Amino acid sequence: MEVLVAQIFNGLSIGSIYVLLVTGFNLLLLVAMIIHFSFPVVVVFSMYMAWITLQITGGNVLLSVLASVVSAILINMATAPLFQHIMKKRGSVDINATMVISMGIGMVITDYLSHNLNHGFPIAFPDNFTGAGKGALVNLGLIHISFGQILTLGVGIVAVLGLFWILYKTKHGRAFRAIAENPDGAKLVGIPLLKTGLLSYALTGLLGGVTAVLMAILLGSASPGLGDQLGHKVLAVSIIAGLGNLHGGLVIGLLLGIVEAVIQGYWAGSWSNAVAFGIMLVAILVKPKGIFGTKL
Amino acid sequence: MGQNDSLLMVNNLEVSYGHVNALKGVSMNIRKGEIVVLIGANGAGKTTLMESILGVNQPKGGSISFKGKDITNSPVDRNVRSGIFLVPEGRGVFATLTVLDNLLLGAHHNLKQASDKLKLVFDAFPVLGERKEQVAGTLSGGERQMLAIARALMSDPEMILVDEPSIGLAPIIVNDIFEILGKLNREGYTILLSEQNVYKALKLAHRGYVLETGHIIKEGSAGDLLSDPSIVEAYLGA
Repeated sequence: MEVLVAQIFNGLSIGSIYVLLVTGFNLLLLVAMIIHFSFPVVVVFSMYMAWITLQITGGNVLLSVLASVVSAILINMATAPLFQHIMKKRGSVDINATMVISMGIGMVITDYLSHNLNHGFPIAFPDNFTGAGKGALVNLGLIHISFGQILTLGVGIVAVLGLFWILYKTKHGRAFRAIAENPDGAKLVGIPLLKTGLLSYALTGLLGGVTAVLMAILLGSASPGLGDQLGHKVLAVSIIAGLGNLHGGLVIGLLLGIVEAVIQGYWAGSWSNAVAFGIMLVAILVKPKGIFGTKL
Repeated sequence: MGQNDSLLMVNNLEVSYGHVNALKGVSMNIRKGEIVVLIGANGAGKTTLMESILGVNQPKGGSISFKGKDITNSPVDRNVRSGIFLVPEGRGVFATLTVLDNLLLGAHHNLKQASDKLKLVFDAFPVLGERKEQVAGTLSGGERQMLAIARALMSDPEMILVDEPSIGLAPIIVNDIFEILGKLNREGYTILLSEQNVYKALKLAHRGYVLETGHIIKEGSAGDLLSDPSIVEAYLGA
């Protein structure tokens, strides 16, 4: 029982990372109308930027958090014209073409990380950044809850709530939702599609930068291949939940984290990916449009 | 408001979708305070003309001017800002958004005046006020059409383009909608109305244009068009 509780808590914290990544992915899908499955690669790039800043400044946490957030926003904004060029040219959404661009962006970043940063070796974040030196905050038998886990879960909840607040309580959020339901209709009422789309790139960049910091704290390390691995999971979670379904992504993201952690707690950890994807395979066979339904 | 002030001028407008020429040199002139009806069968180009005025399509040739300014290539959001708004065919309301959200989307470019506008709209359409927290998907067809018109009012327009408002509505509701359009016109809104219900539309309008496969083949006062034998035969089923 204690193992189960401990693993569920572990699962919730890694799950909140998945939720943040899936939410960013879904937001780009709904508002910017692109399939950016390399979004997690951008997030991993920001982890590297945080790490470099730590090296340069001799461990300045604040600056490295800033570097992570700023770099994610910049990369997202810099790649936006690539995606938007296609949409402008085609006159309407061409999701297939955006996938190729996303793939390209992912490959360039991953190659850059594996050739130019830390000689391609995995990077490790120092204890003063991750808080690992402080030991567990909560110790109950087998249940150890670290500072990083609490922080990830807490910031994850705040970030998702903040995002939903923007979506449901602000002018731009209203425009986001209108575009998500019917881009042509949104254009007719005078919402500038490209400009509003650009805002969603900035917002997901902010979300991605925060996620990168939380991943650095929770995982304590990163490697060039991490982005691709997460990219697969995020795409899978989004499809299983129902493409573009924000609430669905929330549930399935947390669930994936818990399932993986429970498998790691009871069986060999190295099988957790295979088992999780096996379950998702069954889910998609039973519900091809996602458990909560596609919102496209 | 003088009857001779030109508000919208369309001059020899050509629009095509790929190889299909939807508008082949359309000209029209709408004066301030008028209600003008656009008559034509399905596929004649009525929706294309309205969407082109709004700025959805890039014209291949010709020009459009509004309030004396050239708007031929100006984008939708700028045209909405300057006072043109479309009530699209099929209403175009956002079914998953609340009535209030739908209304506020009409005022997206100028939310400062939204609360005043909301009061006016809820006075004119009390049913929308009662249901403002409901999602628009739960409204009836007639209520959706009212919402689409109310959303246009939220944008503070000078000219409202109304595309086929009666489609899919019961006759008694159609009467209500036409009454609303007449009232709005008397309040000073200039209206371009595309309508299959030609008799009712001409009864309401000052003037009309007949569009056939991308050409204006006839124009005139509503009275003249109503008594024109070719119009009566083609569109009034006499």
